Amino acid sequence: MEALNYFALSWLSPELLALTALGTFLGIYVGAIPGLSVTMAVSILISFTFSWDVNNALCLMVGIFMGGVYGGSRTAILLNIPGAPSAIATALDGYPLAKKGLAGEAIGLSTVMSVIGGFVGIIVLALAAPTISEFAITFQPRDYLLLAILGLTLVGSLSSGSLAKGLFAGALGVLVGTVGLDPLTAEERFTFGVIELWDGINVIAAMIGLFGVSEALHQLHHLDKAIIKQKITRIIPPWADIRKYFPLSLQSSFIGVIIGALPGTGGDIAALMAYDQAKRSTKKPDVPFGHGAKEGLIAPEAANNAAVGGAFIPMLTLGIPGDAVTAVFIGALFIHGLNPGPLLLVEQPHMFWFTVGNLTLANIFVLIFGLTGIRIFSKLVECPKGVMIPLIMLLSVVGAYAINNSVIDIWWMLAFGILGYFMRLYNYPVGPVILGVILSKLMDENWRRAILSERGDMGQFFANLFSSPLSCVLFAAIVLALFTQTPLWTKTLKPRLFR
Amino acid sequence: MKKLILSAFAGLALSSMAMADYPNKDIQGIIQWGAGGSTDTVMRSVAPHAEKVLGADIILTNRPGGVGAIATKFVNAKKADGYTLLMGAENPQMYKVLGLADIDYSDMIPINVMARGIPMLVAQNDAPFNTMQEMIDYIKANPGTVKVGSTGQGGLASIVMAMIESEVDLDVTTVPYNGDGPALTALQGGAIDVMPAVLGAAVQHIKAGRMKAITLVDNQQNAVLPEVAPITETLPSLEKYLPYGPFFGVFVKQGTPDDAVAKLTEAFATGAEAEDFKALMETRGYGIMNLSGQPAVDFLDNYRSVSSWLVHDAGFAKHSPEEFNIPRP
Amino acid sequence: MSSQTTRYPGERLFSFLLVVFSIFLLWRAYLISGFSDLSSPGAVPMGASAMMVISACIAFTQTLKQPPVEGGRFFYHCLPMVVGFMMAMVIIYAVLLEQLGFIIASLLFLFITLRTLSQRSALWSLGLAVISLAIIYIIFRLIFQIVLPEGVVPEREILAVVSRLWEDA
Repeated sequence: MEALNYFALSWLSPELLALTALGTFLGIYVGAIPGLSVTMAVSILISFTFSWDVNNALCLMVGIFMGGVYGGSRTAILLNIPGAPSAIATALDGYPLAKKGLAGEAIGLSTVMSVIGGFVGIIVLALAAPTISEFAITFQPRDYLLLAILGLTLVGSLSSGSLAKGLFAGALGVLVGTVGLDPLTAEERFTFGVIELWDGINVIAAMIGLFGVSEALHQLHHLDKAIIKQKITRIIPPWADIRKYFPLSLQSSFIGVIIGALPGTGGDIAALMAYDQAKRSTKKPDVPFGHGAKEGLIAPEAANNAAVGGAFIPMLTLGIPGDAVTAVFIGALFIHGLNPGPLLLVEQPHMFWFTVGNLTLANIFVLIFGLTGIRIFSKLVECPKGVMIPLIMLLSVVGAYAINNSVIDIWWMLAFGILGYFMRLYNYPVGPVILGVILSKLMDENWRRAILSERGDMGQFFANLFSSPLSCVLFAAIVLALFTQTPLWTKTLKPRLFR
Repeated sequence: MKKLILSAFAGLALSSMAMADYPNKDIQGIIQWGAGGSTDTVMRSVAPHAEKVLGADIILTNRPGGVGAIATKFVNAKKADGYTLLMGAENPQMYKVLGLADIDYSDMIPINVMARGIPMLVAQNDAPFNTMQEMIDYIKANPGTVKVGSTGQGGLASIVMAMIESEVDLDVTTVPYNGDGPALTALQGGAIDVMPAVLGAAVQHIKAGRMKAITLVDNQQNAVLPEVAPITETLPSLEKYLPYGPFFGVFVKQGTPDDAVAKLTEAFATGAEAEDFKALMETRGYGIMNLSGQPAVDFLDNYRSVSSWLVHDAGFAKHSPEEFNIPRP
Repeated sequence: MSSQTTRYPGERLFSFLLVVFSIFLLWRAYLISGFSDLSSPGAVPMGASAMMVISACIAFTQTLKQPPVEGGRFFYHCLPMVVGFMMAMVIIYAVLLEQLGFIIASLLFLFITLRTLSQRSALWSLGLAVISLAIIYIIFRLIFQIVLPEGVVPEREILAVVSRLWEDA
């Protein structure tokens, strides 16, 4: 009963209700604009809400978080510029849909699926938070390493043409991710003595370049081509569609919530993993993946919003951030005089249900704001290219600068834009590059940690790998992922098994 | 002396241009670390108090990268007019010996050194030792089996271990992490056994019984964890290095006009005195320092001496502290 | 394995450049820590760059076997004038951004590119440039307090004067 009281706190107070709504609304736009991140917005709010009551500040921040993760899909679908790394997988199939004149439908579907994912995340948080957080912290360096390798097997799914070109792109991404001062030994890697390279190449700068700028440059080929008329009759997806894709969205949401709850991984990896899983498990997509498959849109959108609830699991129960945004939340709670740690729920028992209630409310606002205004957004794609392209370029430059207030990021963004332009031209896939960058640190650091923990003894490493059930499961998943990409499976076994 | 004359000149030149009513526009605060880090949190909670005294906005900007060197160089490339503040942590004091940059805080004017973290050793609950002496004995009896977390060479954990190893030889397996947060998480998951961390980062986990405190790397007990013995009880010869610990401070470029320095010093001293800021520091386990002027310079110099020489003696410094006239502690 | 049967003009050169680039990176990766240790900082960079060298070589040999696209011209199909123009403009823009400051550089960039690409009147292009710049300035500089390069415009002084007028009013 008490739980219900706290849960409904933000629902019943008009002030808190309005702040959550405002936060969600702002979050959608913060998420949609590349270069503005939820982490950034929440930290600005720390100074802004300094003198506020803690509940008010939290409502606004939770709204921004929920809205922001959803908002990244907007620009991914409309402009092929993912608003945040967690929307990269969304662009793979969302943008082709927009090119077919189905932007409205794609946004509608992504909204509904994000909300379903959000709810799954919240339900898991509410029912199983302590169990999952205890499970999440038992991940050893070698398990994170296996997780990163599992993610990298996605290269196969992301390269449509030559596998060699896909592997090249993936390896390039891993290499780009290692640039800078090595976080473990402070050794310089590929820095060429330039101090600005110490912190590495920013993944968002690379993302804006490879996706947004290179696509905009390609669009210049078709300046005179007729504008794609957007069909905006159907925005809310039909009930039959939601029912049909419900199992997929549940599967993706569970991937999202677990990956989100792991302290070393967040929504970006969750979305990519869910995309891969969807591609593997979908027997016969109506449209092939990468060309506007609805399954390819649903999986990452459900997963990245489910990861929000997931990220709160270790934060609320143990005071361990589940991702970068919850790390800022912990700072905010400190400033407001609370002790976010394993004792938070003992000292402030209302905090848990209050946050769950808040997240639920914000998720409902995502549905409301997400389904309104789609018509105007779809019109954006109908804008003449001669107007759109200069504006996309300007936004890319400002967005790249805003990441770290640094001009260097603009240069990297442009370099990747031009590289991406030629890669696309010659059929090198750009998706694996970003995948590599995102997974690089996870793989590099945990590989070395795993080896160092065994004092360089590889025999011991494998002995431990096969004696831990968790590592065995992950290892089996990698073997399976690789096997399902071999011709033996795709050409012979799969058609026979799933006729 | 040369610096003094230079700064006097710069002060004269600038004060002629409406410097009397500093500040007359927004001030930019450059934070060395990213959003959500402890430096970020501390600065964002002290800035609103300072703004009130200054009567101007402080626009806080995160410029992370190069262990803080990018922000430090950025501020030093700006005009010395008091409109660009460096909000940083202890890292620049090691730049010279680690060969990361040729400037440190001795080349800047400290406005306020606000707080200091207290280092300590924590262990996972299943570890077969509870005190410093037991830990030393266990490691000696089982060389190579105890895994100690680290945050990279030159990080706090490596300096604390160097401090201890300057007195006793310990054969441990070092596993590096990307910050003390991830390392403390790994400690709870059993991936490492011991971690040198700051009190503030570990205290909540200790109180909840998720890890145990071995010792405080300080010369006195602390009210937050009164039952934990300071390291000097086991290794009294470490006294010469202490008190030691990572700190947070606000700095301006050398040559900033005196009235601007005075105004800023007043503003941040007021900020560090504010009740809610003090409460925040206490809950995070940091000791309030609120040092400015000469005491701040002395503290910074001591920190630099201790870290530089320990790192040098442990063998991972690129340059000898002697090259920069850093005295031995 | 490859579904692509023909190659575009320049593809062979591009693939060859990638091979050279990969070998350069492998060499740089080797310099980090050599073959010292499996857990050394250079281990993963060397693995990744070795993979790049191998896959780039395979991709390059594939292009050797493929016949060129018929009638393909590099500066028509691969790098038309307009793409080169846009690349040049955006690079110049990035250079001028710090010198001239965000406002002036962006206004020039938007005006020139809008005018060239949309082929509307100068007044129309200028109007659109000013409006979109104003929106971006409000979102980034005023709401999110991201201090964009100021260059020659004394922005903070102007903002201080404006806000003082605001308070007095």
